[in-house]
Amino acid sequence: MADATETAEPLLSAKNRKTFKDPFMVNNPITLQVLGICSALAVTAQLKPSLVMGIAVVFVVAGANVTISVIRKFIPVRVRIIVEMTVVATLVILVDQVLRAYAFEVSKQLSLFVGLIITNCIVLGRLEAFAMGNKVWPSFLDGLGNGLSYAAVIAIVGFCREVMGFGQVFGFRVVPQALYDNLGYTNNGLMVLAPGAFIILGLLIWVQRTVSGHVED
Amino acid sequence: MRSGTYTVVFVSAVVIVCSLLLSTAATLLRDRQDRNEALSKKQSILQALGVKQKMDGPAIDSFFADHVELFAVDLEGNIDAEVDAEQLDMEVEDKKTEASSRRYPIYRCTMENEVVYCVPIIGRGLWSKLYGYLSLESDLNTVKGITFYKHGETPGLGAEIEKDWFQDNFLGKKINDQTGAFVSIEVVKGKAADAYAGNEEKLSHAVDGISGATITSRGVTKMLNEDLTKYVPYFKQLEAD
Repeated sequence: MADATETAEPLLSAKNRKTFKDPFMVNNPITLQVLGICSALAVTAQLKPSLVMGIAVVFVVAGANVTISVIRKFIPVRVRIIVEMTVVATLVILVDQVLRAYAFEVSKQLSLFVGLIITNCIVLGRLEAFAMGNKVWPSFLDGLGNGLSYAAVIAIVGFCREVMGFGQVFGFRVVPQALYDNLGYTNNGLMVLAPGAFIILGLLIWVQRTVSGHVED
Repeated sequence: MRSGTYTVVFVSAVVIVCSLLLSTAATLLRDRQDRNEALSKKQSILQALGVKQKMDGPAIDSFFADHVELFAVDLEGNIDAEVDAEQLDMEVEDKKTEASSRRYPIYRCTMENEVVYCVPIIGRGLWSKLYGYLSLESDLNTVKGITFYKHGETPGLGAEIEKDWFQDNFLGKKINDQTGAFVSIEVVKGKAADAYAGNEEKLSHAVDGISGATITSRGVTKMLNEDLTKYVPYFKQLEAD
């Protein structure tokens, strides 16, 4: 199994750095591939659940990528999707159990959306497209990059929604009370609901594609 | 192409490793999870009792040890000291065929010379079961507080039952009419003040509904009626004493 190139290639070679960095801008899973939208809408009403969800996804994508990459040469092709799903499901249940033990309030807020990471297309997508055909270290970087870029996007959405929908960040009031009392400012109720996330995501995709110059065929 | 045997062996190995991992994790984390469940239940009881200050785990436990008693009552209104009220599950009790063998848990909280009673309420909304607590002031008639701690209703619609505006509606409402007969509390469609304008008596048993969540509102009305009925005999006995 140990090919010569595995040890010869430096850990942070240009190619590996590209593997890690690409998902953030050039090939972002949410804003470019438009994957994982369901959870991006569901859990982003506030910043804290968004961040926890982001961390959970980073763990699952990176963990699944590494595991599958390690056993990729032994997986019978005909049952590879089943094996991939088993590994992903195991990691997701682990995350869910740990959250319920150590972050009960957040896990209640996230409820079934942690379980739904199993169906997050980003996870299976990375396994099929990358981990099945690449070595362990690049697969880890790829998983980390994709997970973190997902986390970054939903954190931005969560931040915008919490500020506009609740006037808070992490539960602390940032919009001054005087604004509510004297100027008749009210929180934007639309931001609390799923359409608010759609609007923010749409704007993010617009900004991202303007910067990267990506055009849909 | 690999042989069928290889595939079966490989998949079995993967499944065994995964399940071992998960059962280990579940066993190791069980205690902490159970404690979190129990604390969150206690927290919602505190909320129903109208205790406003935020407490951490140990503070909640000591508050319960100092102020709260839990015991079981039957449908005749008698206290049954032989049942472990901690273990009582309202839904299990409801299914018992003999009504006389059903026991229901009730909390009595003594705070600053005031006694508050708190009972669990369980019912159906649109999508999910609703779990909550309702507490009554010492007159056993006036609502002191209500909470819902578990449900799966639509955010923005049915899920509004967990919001303050909805729960605050219940404060001060009466479950008995002027003659002392039990009438429960109704969640009306729209504003209670419009539905029963000028009818003070009716208004004292009605709260504002949630627009767009008629079935959840109806579920709340139904669960209040059904679950409070179970405790009415006990309340009557208390009053008689």
